[in-house]
Amino acid sequence: MKQSKELSERTLGWLLLAPVGILLALIVLYPVAKLLISSFHTIRLTEPWLGEPFVGFANYVRAWEDERFWGALWNTILYIVITVPGSLALGLGLAMLANLPFKRKWPVRLALLLPWALPLVFAGLIFRWFFDFKLGFVNDFVSRFGFDPLPWLTDPILAKIAICITIIWKSSSFMALVLLAGLQSIPKSLYEAAEVDGAGKWLQFKEITLPMLMPAIFVALIFRTITAIQTFDIPYAMTGGGPGDSTETLAMYIHKNTLDFLDFGYGSALAAIMFIVSIIATSGYLRYTQRSAGRD
Amino acid sequence: MKLKKLALAATLASFIVGASASFAQTTLRIFTGGQQRPDVMRKIADEYEKRTPGVKIAVEVGGATSEAQQQYLNTVLTSKDSALDVVLIDVIRPAQWAAAGWAEPLDSYLGADKAKVMSQYMKAYSDANTVNGKVISLPYFADSQFLYYRKDLLAKYKRAVPKTWDELMETSQIIMQGEKNPNLRGFETAGAPIEGTVCTFLVPLWGEGSDMTKNGKLNLDTPEARQPFQLLGRLKQAGVMSPNVGEIVTDRIRINMQAGNLIFAQTWGYVWNRAQNDADSKVKGNIGVTTLPSSKTGKSATCIGGWQLAVSAFSKNKAEAVKFVRYLSSPEVSKQQAIAASHLPVFPSVYKDKEVLAANPWFEFAGPIVETAKSRPVSPRYQEVSDAIRSNMNAYLSGTKTTDVALADMKKRLEPVFK
Repeated sequence: MKQSKELSERTLGWLLLAPVGILLALIVLYPVAKLLISSFHTIRLTEPWLGEPFVGFANYVRAWEDERFWGALWNTILYIVITVPGSLALGLGLAMLANLPFKRKWPVRLALLLPWALPLVFAGLIFRWFFDFKLGFVNDFVSRFGFDPLPWLTDPILAKIAICITIIWKSSSFMALVLLAGLQSIPKSLYEAAEVDGAGKWLQFKEITLPMLMPAIFVALIFRTITAIQTFDIPYAMTGGGPGDSTETLAMYIHKNTLDFLDFGYGSALAAIMFIVSIIATSGYLRYTQRSAGRD
Repeated sequence: MKLKKLALAATLASFIVGASASFAQTTLRIFTGGQQRPDVMRKIADEYEKRTPGVKIAVEVGGATSEAQQQYLNTVLTSKDSALDVVLIDVIRPAQWAAAGWAEPLDSYLGADKAKVMSQYMKAYSDANTVNGKVISLPYFADSQFLYYRKDLLAKYKRAVPKTWDELMETSQIIMQGEKNPNLRGFETAGAPIEGTVCTFLVPLWGEGSDMTKNGKLNLDTPEARQPFQLLGRLKQAGVMSPNVGEIVTDRIRINMQAGNLIFAQTWGYVWNRAQNDADSKVKGNIGVTTLPSSKTGKSATCIGGWQLAVSAFSKNKAEAVKFVRYLSSPEVSKQQAIAASHLPVFPSVYKDKEVLAANPWFEFAGPIVETAKSRPVSPRYQEVSDAIRSNMNAYLSGTKTTDVALADMKKRLEPVFK
């Protein structure tokens, strides 16, 4: 008697979860499955008469041999390697600044929130004007010191620098928000005790702030890394991938193949590869957080 | 009693249905780009609404560049969305649209009139809108690239309008040295990775009497294929072209011309009207328009442009949409556009119209230029062709690739398309 009642409660539980399960299947599993299936077919909407034949791994082999794909992949990795630590460092600085005992807290919080609230494309367009060769504020600044104006957006190295600066500016406020929450959860008593023991500011930061902040730092890093892998809007608005393809990211190349060239088979294969890159890049963090959770 | 009520309800219902049928309203949605003067399109649509009771026109304005518009349209049309009835498409698109099955072929709507209707247009445009014998779209306005020049500056330094690229370079250098204005540059053309940069490559190539393809096969292993790189490289090296040519998009050329910062520019027909009429134009009355220069040996060549009207294959109001398209593609509307926006007519007769010529004196010789303008390569995979040309031209103009590398990369990307 008792067992059957338990069973029915279990069924009820599953029944109640079913709508969410179905919804998730529809919006997550179905597109992922469809993407994987597409990646093994030729799907060219520009040439519908080709049909949609199964081609095995041909699209993946094509990616392997495609120089432009490798270029886009390296650019993406470069943006991750530079902008993730960059925005962490700047974000941590901003968070510590905002955590100081200001008389009025809201102007500081607002300044922190603004870049984060700005849509990515807007940030890209604004910085495109900043770095404009003739009309930009950066070149105006440079020329006031007697230097020649620099072709920020038409030189492959300068363009990458300009894009990294924009991404760091844009994303460090999100880092700062997450870290600020972490900072505020550190009990004040720890610092007071440290001061009594004669620990200086640097020692307090190293021995109290950093270790206590680790969980928040990891959360922020995971989110930031995932968005860095998907970098699209800012380089798209600033350079359109130029000069040539030298600032193109993987997400931009996928967009180009699917929405511009209407080659959905190849685009799907590239998207599947990006998915694998995301898993590799974030698995390191996940392993670390799992290990530290186990230790607790 | 019950029966009576039912009868009453039935009559009432039929009355409502009948009434709504007599006020039936068709709303046609037309898609146009921000640079194709949607304000002028709206005025033309207002006029059409007055003449055609029961039809309302909604004008949807898309992105400023041809590729931004097409990216949006790709999403709408691959999902077979019926939201758009009429779409303004770039002259390079009819082949793609025909291949993808996005445009409703107009042959059956034109019926017996087909030959007559198509023969009224300039030949370049009846050809551009016909794909494999089917009429895919009808022309809205014509365009081609011209050489814009500063009449006042040429007069001041007693220089003739340049006939060759060498003359253009020499004249630019003389004027730039004389004016001592650090913002003044000799020449500008599109160099950003955008559609217009395809013409930046093709115009000097055609000027040498060569072409990108020959009998459907890629033809870039010629000495002429190096010419566009060498010419533009020389202009940039000499400072005649700005070092930031790699970030120049189409409308930026107009802005620089209007600000008085350019002596010569290679750009489209719409610039005339803006440079003459815009409140902030510093060059009113000082702009001349002529054919693009040629090389010493070759003939002047130019890129054909212009915008076509296609009826979406997914539209639910095709018959009404075709009627509206035929109105938009009429000599009357062509004349209105020519006066209001300096949009080049697609009918030879409109070029001779007195009012049109009063507004645009340069149309007198623009007709023959448009008539001989050449088409960019025709392919259902045109987007890939365009991308291969513009990204490599952009890399060369930005100084990141040499002629050899840019040309080799261009060929490598074009080969799979023209195999």
